[in-house]
Amino acid sequence: MAVESTFGQPSPLLERAAVEARYHNVDALYEETRDMRLFGFILFLLADCVLFSSFIFAYLFLRASAPTWPPVVNGTQIGRLDVAFGALNSIVLFGSGVTMHFALESWKNLKTRAFNVWIVTTTLLGIAFLLGQAHEYTSAPAGLTWSGNAFGATYFTLTGLHGFHVFAGVCYLIVLTIQANRGVYTGSKYFGLTAGTLYWHFVDVIWVLLFVLFYLW
Amino acid sequence: MDIAIVERGIALIASIIVGATASWQLKNELSTRGLDATATKVLLGLLVIGCFVVFFASINVLGNFAS
Repeated sequence: MAVESTFGQPSPLLERAAVEARYHNVDALYEETRDMRLFGFILFLLADCVLFSSFIFAYLFLRASAPTWPPVVNGTQIGRLDVAFGALNSIVLFGSGVTMHFALESWKNLKTRAFNVWIVTTTLLGIAFLLGQAHEYTSAPAGLTWSGNAFGATYFTLTGLHGFHVFAGVCYLIVLTIQANRGVYTGSKYFGLTAGTLYWHFVDVIWVLLFVLFYLW
Repeated sequence: MDIAIVERGIALIASIIVGATASWQLKNELSTRGLDATATKVLLGLLVIGCFVVFFASINVLGNFAS
């Protein structure tokens, strides 16, 4: 922004004052709206909770009304899901929640290199979880199909919905990494990183429930 | 060796490490204030519970359908 003095010449002092005033306004606006944006983001997570709850209650209803569970298809009962692999895949996702928290703490402590290491680790663990989920789909027990029975329909819908959330989270993490390295966030302004951490924890917590419902119960 | 035993072993060790780290993070968060800190505390607490679930699943206490 060109700022001219009363003599018509660009004034470095006035320019600096204008820039500082501009950033001061941004800071003030950030402080004013941060809690509102955070509240809005938590409302979004709660709305997502409602979405998952509706599918989970549908699963519970179908399970309660089925004579046997897993259901019998063509005279054969569908096998159980692989608990050992499910546990391994779950801990990969939970581990990514811990690394994401480390990433945010590193950013708060102005440790950019550590932040990059932790957020990239989180992204890779998220991708590993998705690959694990893909392996689960390809090696699902016989009879467990999308349209064949209630078990398959609820399993693929709920884990697919969750997988979509993880995929969106991975994309979000990549965007956050790029933004953070381009200087979008500072030591005191990092709402996007806070929101990203909350989202990733939320995705982890939803998986705790799905793991119990589909693998352990 | 059965692949399931290897998977359970890795899950067991990882659940202890991740659970302990998440508990430590939760302990550090307890003194912080604010809406984001409260949400983080709740979510980290649930994450610790998730680690317990994986721990018990990996030692065959939960999800044992052999019988």
